Amino acid sequence: MAKERTTNSKAVEEMLLDVGTLLMGNGASTGRVRTTINRIADALGYEVELLITSRSLMLTVNKEGGLDHTSSVKRTPPHGVNFKLVSGISRLSWRVVEEGLSVEQINQDIERIKALPHYPRFVVLALVALAGASFCRLFGGEAPEMIVAFSATFFGLFIRQEALKMRFNPYISIFFASFTAAMVAGLSIKLNIGHSPENALATSVLFLIPGVPLINSLSDLMDGNTLNGMVRGVNGLIIAFSIALGLMLAMQIYSL
Amino acid sequence: MELFTLLEKGIWFGFAALGFAILFNVPQRTLFIIWIIAALGGLTKLILIQLNVEITIATFAGASLIGILSVYAAHTKHAPPLVFSIPAVIPMVPGIFAYRMMLGLMKLSSTAATSDTYSISLAETVSYGLKTLFILMALAVGVAVPMLISRKETIKKVKHTAEN
Repeated sequence: MAKERTTNSKAVEEMLLDVGTLLMGNGASTGRVRTTINRIADALGYEVELLITSRSLMLTVNKEGGLDHTSSVKRTPPHGVNFKLVSGISRLSWRVVEEGLSVEQINQDIERIKALPHYPRFVVLALVALAGASFCRLFGGEAPEMIVAFSATFFGLFIRQEALKMRFNPYISIFFASFTAAMVAGLSIKLNIGHSPENALATSVLFLIPGVPLINSLSDLMDGNTLNGMVRGVNGLIIAFSIALGLMLAMQIYSL
Repeated sequence: MELFTLLEKGIWFGFAALGFAILFNVPQRTLFIIWIIAALGGLTKLILIQLNVEITIATFAGASLIGILSVYAAHTKHAPPLVFSIPAVIPMVPGIFAYRMMLGLMKLSSTAATSDTYSISLAETVSYGLKTLFILMALAVGVAVPMLISRKETIKKVKHTAEN
C-alpha cells in the first residue's frame, strides 16, 4: 500500500523535532504532540521514542526492522498560543497518512503553515475588547460599564503586545497589561460611570486569564503526563498572580 | 429570567469566546462554530442555574457540552477539538468570584486578626475562593474528559484506514 520512499533517518528526525516543538510551543497538549509525531513516523515507516518536556523535545528515530537509528534534542521556544499552527500540523499529519507525502513535501508544508498570517492587529484588539465588554455584560454590566470594559481591554492588550514586542519577560508583560487595564477601568469608578463600575474593573483583566495553560494542564494530568501537567499548572498560576498584582497595584493607586 | 434576557446572554457568551478565538489565532473556518458552541454551553449553564442547580454543577454541564460539541466539530471542520473547546469555555470563567476573593485577601492582610470584621471577611474570602477553584476545575475537567474519551475513536479510525 505505502509507496516505497527513500529517506534517511536524520531527515525524518529533524522534521519530527520540528513538528513536535512547534506543537508544544503553540498550545497543544502533550498527548496531542505524542499522537501526531507517532502518526507521521508510522506513516513513513519509522519507530519513534519520545521524551516530551515543556521546554525541550528529545526523540530517537529507528527505521522499522533496521539498525539505522539516531537521537537528538531540540529546544521548544516559548511562542504563546497559535491554534492555526496546531490545526494545520494536525491536518498535515493526516495527509501524511492518507496521501503518503514525502519528507520534503512535509517540510514544505510545515514552512507554509508557519507562514500563515495572523489576524490583523486592529482586528485582534477590537474583537478582544469586544470580548471584554461581553464579559462585563455577562456579569451584569450595562452599556456604560461595557464601554469602560471595552476600552480597558483595548489598552491593556495594546500594552501587552507592545511589551512582548520589546521582549519583556512574558509575566511582566501580563503585569503591565493588567495594570493598564485596571487603571483605565479604575478611572471609571473614580468618575462614577454607570451603576456598577466594579463590574468593569473586575472584567477588564479577564482577557489575560491563562485558559490554555490551565486546560492543557488538566488534560496532561489526566492523561498521565503528570510532570508536564504540573509545569503548565504552575505557569498558569504565575500568570494569575501577575494579573492579580497589576490589579492590586492599580487599586492601591486609586485607593479603592 | 425571561427568555429574551437569556438569549441575549447567549449572544454575549458567543462574542466573549470569539475574542479569545481571535487572540489564539484559530483558523477562520472555525470562528462561527466557536461562537455557536460557546453560546450553547453558556446557555446550558444559565438554564441550569435558573432551575436551581448549584453553579459548579451547572458549569460542569455547560463545559461538558462544549467538550462534546468540540469533538464533533473537530471531525467536520478538520481541526483538533481544543481549537474549539478552549475559546468556547473561557466565557464561563468565574471572574467576579476571583475578583472578590482577591479583594477579600487584600482586606484580610490589612486588618488585625482581633477585629470584629475579620471572621466575616475570612468566611467570605474562603467562600469566594472555593467557588472560584471548583468552578475552574469543573470547567477544565468538563472540557478535557470528552477530548480524552474521544481519543479512543481516533485510534480506531487509524486502524480502520490502515486496513483498507
